[in-house]
This record gives sequence, structure tokens and C-alpha cells, in this order.
Amino acid sequence: MTHQIELSAVNKYYGAYHALKDIDLSIPKGSFVALVGPSGCGKSTLLRSLAGLETISSGDLVIAGKRMNGVPPRKRDLAMVFQSYALYPHMTVEQNLTYSLKINGVRKAERKRAAADVAAITGLSNLLHRYPRELSGGQRQRVAMSRAIIRNPQAFLFDEPLSNLDAALRVHMRKEIRALHDRLGATSVYVTHDQVEAMTMADHVVVMRNGVIEQQGKPLDLYDRPTNRFVAGFIGSPAMNFIPARSTPDGRALVLDLAEPQTVPFDCPLPAERALIVGIRPEHLTLAGADAAGFKVGVAAVETTGAVTFITTATTPEIVVALNGRAAVMAGETIRLTFAGGDVHLFDAETDQRIK
Amino acid sequence: MKRVFSSITDGRGFDLVLVGVPFTFLLALSGLPLLYNILMSFQEVDMFSLGSVIRPFVGFRNYLDLFTQPETVSILKNTIVFVVGSITGQFLVGFALALFFWINFPGASWLRGLFLVSWVMPGLVVGAIWNWILSGDFGVLNFLLQQTGLMSSNIFWRSDPNFSLWAVILANIWLGTSFNMILLATGLSAIPADLYEAAEMDGANAWQRFWTITLPMMRSTIGAIIALGLIFTLQQFDLFAAITDGGPNNSSNVAQYWAWDLSFRQYDFGKGATISVIMTVFVMFAATVYVRSTRHEVRG
Amino acid sequence: MSENARNRLLLALSIVMAAIYLFPLYWMYVTALKSGSEMFATPPSFWPSSAQWSTFAYVWESRNMGRYLWNSTVIAFGAVALIAMLGTGCAYVLARYRNIWVDIGLFLILMFQVLPASLMITPIFVGFSQLGLLEYPRLAVILAITAKSMPFFVVLVRATFMAVPMELEEAALVDGNSRIGAFLNIVLPLARNGILVSAILIFMQAFGEFVYSKSMIQDIQLQPASVGLNSFMGPNTSEWNNIMAYATMYVTPILAIFVLLQRRIVSGLTSGALK
Repeated sequence: MTHQIELSAVNKYYGAYHALKDIDLSIPKGSFVALVGPSGCGKSTLLRSLAGLETISSGDLVIAGKRMNGVPPRKRDLAMVFQSYALYPHMTVEQNLTYSLKINGVRKAERKRAAADVAAITGLSNLLHRYPRELSGGQRQRVAMSRAIIRNPQAFLFDEPLSNLDAALRVHMRKEIRALHDRLGATSVYVTHDQVEAMTMADHVVVMRNGVIEQQGKPLDLYDRPTNRFVAGFIGSPAMNFIPARSTPDGRALVLDLAEPQTVPFDCPLPAERALIVGIRPEHLTLAGADAAGFKVGVAAVETTGAVTFITTATTPEIVVALNGRAAVMAGETIRLTFAGGDVHLFDAETDQRIK
Repeated sequence: MKRVFSSITDGRGFDLVLVGVPFTFLLALSGLPLLYNILMSFQEVDMFSLGSVIRPFVGFRNYLDLFTQPETVSILKNTIVFVVGSITGQFLVGFALALFFWINFPGASWLRGLFLVSWVMPGLVVGAIWNWILSGDFGVLNFLLQQTGLMSSNIFWRSDPNFSLWAVILANIWLGTSFNMILLATGLSAIPADLYEAAEMDGANAWQRFWTITLPMMRSTIGAIIALGLIFTLQQFDLFAAITDGGPNNSSNVAQYWAWDLSFRQYDFGKGATISVIMTVFVMFAATVYVRSTRHEVRG
Repeated sequence: MSENARNRLLLALSIVMAAIYLFPLYWMYVTALKSGSEMFATPPSFWPSSAQWSTFAYVWESRNMGRYLWNSTVIAFGAVALIAMLGTGCAYVLARYRNIWVDIGLFLILMFQVLPASLMITPIFVGFSQLGLLEYPRLAVILAITAKSMPFFVVLVRATFMAVPMELEEAALVDGNSRIGAFLNIVLPLARNGILVSAILIFMQAFGEFVYSKSMIQDIQLQPASVGLNSFMGPNTSEWNNIMAYATMYVTPILAIFVLLQRRIVSGLTSGALK
């Protein structure tokens, strides 16, 4: 497989601040990669380093087989969609779209044809002569996308392109961007703080924190096998529950450290007598039948959307349970919960790393 | 060579060129004169030694001479009166006007802006107009003051040593009021309206709202404006040239006019430089106060 | 009281205040139109009985105002051109970054801005005479004004550049521009209005400049209108109608520009002075 973008041991410092720490990342041609993490995690810095808007302090950055470390943005042949769209306010939509072509010396007739072609794809055909201030938020977003598409670049860079849209439009554009990507056979790098966007759009998700790549892989791999507690808590919504626990000496049961310790038998092999963090997603908890194994919790609140019922427990730490359909549970009751051993993620209490 | 060129088209070199050239210019035409001034204040500089840099070194004699001269004390006192009088007048009138125009009515902002003509006019023209208005026998101000019964006989504003400085102060207040008003109006409009609504709900009347909301919220703006006023009044030169020429008998002379007078009328450049050095220290002090009072805005 | 009546009352009140404030300006125009005897009448008339328009032609001719105004224009244009050339790029860089060097640069700019011309003229005059620059007195004045006014221009234009989003420039870089290209094609056009207004303000200041011209230009052929006005006003002059006619012809162009662009000038000024 050929790699369109390759980063090895990339570091970035702002003075004494270490913004990117030993980043290794390979992006295959034609893939859609999402960089996701909380704000300040370095995802935008990484994207801007790819674009050439930031210079990396050390390491190698290779785009389409060429080392690009000190190369200015204009010679990298990448297109970028900015969070604010960055449409040139003094140019019409058509001029915005064809600006890069103009700079690269493409003839006027050809530029016009290219703009018409792209506008037909993105549905901007009747807006070409408007100015950005005359467009709605969604239309501006399309112009920003089109301006990138027209270039036919080595890769597309997206910097939180949907965060200025309302929720409904965001869901719609998610699909549209992914469809465009597939249709153009492009390589895309997409920065977002929204893990749902990352999970639904990308082939490959890179989770970052404090300038470090915590984990990267296919979306469902990250969901199923998070390598540490941070990734586990970041991916999935509502977030995973974490309960401090200890394994019994025989390694066949867990003692959950809720208000009062509760022992739950465990059907998978456990390391004996060890301090653990038990991670379990809300959707993997179920109400236990009268005779099944489980643990008792008080109910603090019950919320329902109709399709799903969320139960928040009165324990410390608080546990969230997501039940399909409706449940006859009321706040103040005591219920018993259970889970399947295969759905449980175990993390070391000291290091927060996943235990096999 | 190629690397230097590509840095100028694509990298930091571009910024360095853009900022380096003007700063070199400023350092050469403002920084160097500043240092040269200090050097000259320790030298004897007259028409004959004008051409050479190496001149008789006199140590602190220029400074000592100045402070033994009889007019020095009165000129320094005039400077203080001029600065305090001008700033007080400009600020109070400016604030009153700003508060009035703060009430929103159609045409308010346009009319308010019109006041600024006093500020864009050449100082010498303002001086000429006020010279004529303040004229003793035929001045319109004397006429108006007598008509309204405020005084019984004409004041010879420009030639009476008791009034000559105030004649310039009056013109300077007129000149600077509009600038004060515009900046104060900007400060006023930056106070969020809901603060006043909250204060009103809490039972504060208009007077109390002014003292408990407006003034405290305007503190940094007021500090900046007073410092700017200090800077501008110490720069004022044209009005003196056009109205009193520092006279009669130095009764309306101030330090910045005196410095020029020593150099260009008495050809004692050494003393002119000495006054300039002393005044420059004051001006820079005022500038530092200004920076401090706007610092949160300067750094965002 | 209805909203409408209140507004009308306030408007009337503010017009009265403006009239009082702008009375000196009115007095200049009225005096210029009065005859020699009417000017000294007691009580003074507030409207000229017969407007003496010929005074303007007489003053224009006898004081050689065409030459003075030409010199003022040359000096002002020279200074504005130099300031705009040097100051625009400087303002852009100081707006684009935030770090300790920019803070130091801004502080220096401010310090250069506050130095009074009447204090700086002594060393500038001596230095220029040693360099032989006083042989070209108008150039010398242009250089001195540039050093004095460029900082103010930089402060005003910097505020304009701050309002241009950084992403636009970055988008231009990614689209294939060099730094120079992005600056010229994207940033400069978007800041054009602010730069223009600041340049006009600087022009108005330079047009009325007095200290440097008075001190450095000895040749009457090269003196600007401010120096001409100064020599017109002898200590015991009685030609006030002529002087006011001179002043009228001198400031009316400036006032016209100001009234036309008032809104922009005021907003440009306030955004720069307090930020």
C-alpha cells in the first residue's frame, strides 16, 4: 500500500511548550483519517504542520514521496478547509473557487469551466456570482469545500469544518463530505473534537492528548479495544463507566468498590489480587434477573428519550446505564445490574493501561 | 543567497524586512536625535559650533544655568498651570458632552463626530482664530462677556500678563475637548447596558448609577485619556506661536515653547537641548502611564 | 413626552451645543467676509452686511497663497507617501504576532509617537545641518514629519490589520501564494479602507504642520501655508479680515474632507487610540 502522507518522530515546540511529541503516522492514499481529541491536544497543530502553516521542530514529514519539512504551504499541493471557512470576502464565489488556479497560471476560460464543474457537484451553480456575505452558513461551508475540491490536491485537510453549523445540518454534511471523499478518491485528514464525527466518517481514527497519539486504528477497534482509560472514556457516547475494583485471590470474581464493596463473579480469567479499574459502557449494562449474578445500586435519576432509557445511579462513582426501550424503574428504587464478561474492559489502577 | 530570498518570500524574512526598515528609520530619525540631545545638553552649542560634533564640554553647566535663571521658575510654573488647566477643562467639558451624546437619538453620532473638526484643524489656524476672538478692543468674546453682564470692562487677554496664559489655555481646551469627548464616548458605549438594568433593579437612581457603575467602569479609559491629554498638552506649540508668542514678558511661556525659543531665537542650542531633555523625561513618564492604563487592551 | 418629541428636543439641544462649540469656526468665515470697517464695529455684527468676496482674491494674490498651499501639499504628500510605504508593513507585522518582541516594538512605537516636535526640533535641526540636509529643506521637513507621525499611523493601521482574520491569509498560502502574494492579494485589499482613512488623517496633520517647517525652511519660496500664516500675523496686525480669509482658504479643503469622511475618520481614530 502506498502512503500519501507519512510522519515519523515529528516534534513541535513553541518555546518551552512541547506541542507535538514523537508523532508517527502513516496515511494511505485514498483513506479518510480523523484526528480527534480534547481541545489543546495538538490535533490542529498537527494538521497545520501538514499544511505548512507551522514548521515542525524535528522529525520527517513526507507527502507523496517528497520530504516537505521546510517547504512553504504553496509548494505542498494540499487543500485546506478552515473552521471559519476563510472565504475571501472581497471576491465572488467563483473568484474564491478559482483563486488558486489563477495563482498557478490557469487560463480564464479553463478556470470558468472548472468552477462550473465543481459547482455542479456541490450544488453552487446558481450562487457563483454572489459574495460570501450573501450566503448562508451551509452555503459558505460548501464554497469552502468546493475551493478545496477544484484543486485536485494531494490531500484534503479539514479543520473542524462542521463546528459552525447547526446540529441537523452537521449530520447531513457528515454524510456528504464522506460521499465526496469516496467519489473523488481523495486522501483526507479531518480534525474534530467530536468523536461521533470521527467514528462515523473516518476509516482510521487517531486519538490525541497532550501532544501524544494515545491510540490509532479503525473506529470500531478503538471502540472495542481501547488501549487505555483515556481512549476508552473519549470514544463512545454516553461515556464509559469506570469503577475501581479488586480481583479476588482466585481470579474468578471482582470486588467492585462502590459505597459498599460488592463481589461479582467473573467468567473470564483475571490476574489474581490486583487493583483494577473496570470499564463498562452504559449500553453493556442490563438489569439482572432475580436469580442472576449482579450488583445492587440505588437509582438517582431516570431519563428517557423514548427509544432509550438512561439510568443514573446514586453510587460513587456514578454509573450510567443505557437500556433499549423503556424500563419500569423509578428514582429512589434499588436495582440490580449485570454485564457479560466479554464486554468489560480492565485497566490497571496505577497506569490506566489496558490489561489483556 | 537563495535561502535568504526564499525566506523573504515565504518565511520570517518577510516579517523582518517589513518591520526592520521602518524601525531603522525611526531609530535614525527619532532615537539618534534623542541621544544627540542628551549629548548637546552637556555641550556649549551656538551658531559657530553648529557644524562640529566635538564642542566645548561644559558638564552640568547648562542645567545649573537654567535653574539660576530668573524666568525658569515662572516658566515651569506656567507649564504646570497650562497642563493642569488644559487637561481639567478638556476633560470636564469633554465628559459632559460625551454623557449628553450618550443618550441615543437620531443624528447623535453624526453631530458628535462634527465636534472633531476642532481637532483636525491646523493648530496655527485655531490659534489665529482665537487670537482674533480674544482681541482686547474688538474681540467678540469680550463683547459677549459684557453683554451677558459677566464683566464690566474689556480684558486684554493677550497683553495682560494675568490673562495671557489663560488665553492659550482657553484655545487649547477648545482644541482638545472634542478628542476627549470622542474617546470618552467610546468608553461609555463599551459599558454593557445590562449592568445599568441590573443596578436599576437594585434600586440605584441615575446619580448613584453614575458613581457606582459608570465611573468605576471607565477607570482605565479615564486614565488613558488623562495620560493622552498630558502628552498632547506638552506637545502644544502652535497656539503659543499664534496667540501670545510666549509673552508678554514670558508670562505665557511654557517649557516646550521656551526650548524652541532658546534654540531658534537665542541660538543657544545647548540650553534648548537641556530643556528638551528634561521635558522628554516627563513626556515619557506620561507615556508609560498611558501604556499601563491601556495594557489589558494592548495585550488583548 | 412621546419618543418623537423627546428626540426632536434632544436634537435641537445638541445642535445648539454644536453651534456654540463651532462658533470660532463660524467667526472665521464671517470675519473673512466683512469689510475693514465692519470688522471693528461695536457692537460686532454676526452677519456681514455686504459680503466682501473680493477679499479672497486679494489675499490669494498678495500673500502668494498658491505657492504656500503648493508647498504644504508637497510636504504633506511626501510625508504621507513615505509613512504609508514604511508604516503599513510595520503595522501588519505588529498585528500578526503576539510575543515579547511585538510588545517591545509597540512600546518603542508609542515612545516615538509622544515625543513633542518642539523638543525634537533642536537635535534634528543641528543634526540635519551637519548632514547638509537643510540644503533640501522640504525634504528635511518631510523626513522629520515622517519620524514624528509614522508611529501614529502604525497604531491606527495595526488596529485595521487586527480585524483581518488570520485564516484568510493562511487560506491564501495554502492556495498557492507566497507570503508577499498573500499580503498583496488578500490582506492589503481587505485593510484598504482603514489604511486610506489613516493616511488622510496623517495628511491633515502634515498639511498643518508648523514647528519643523518654521525652523528648517528659511527660503520663503519653499515655506508651507502654516509658516505663511504665521508671518502674516504680525504682533500688531489689524488685517483680521484678510487673515481670516487666508485661514478660510487654508482650512476649508481639510474641513470638507473631514465632513465627507467623518464617520470613518472617527471610527478609525477611536479604534486605534485606545487599543
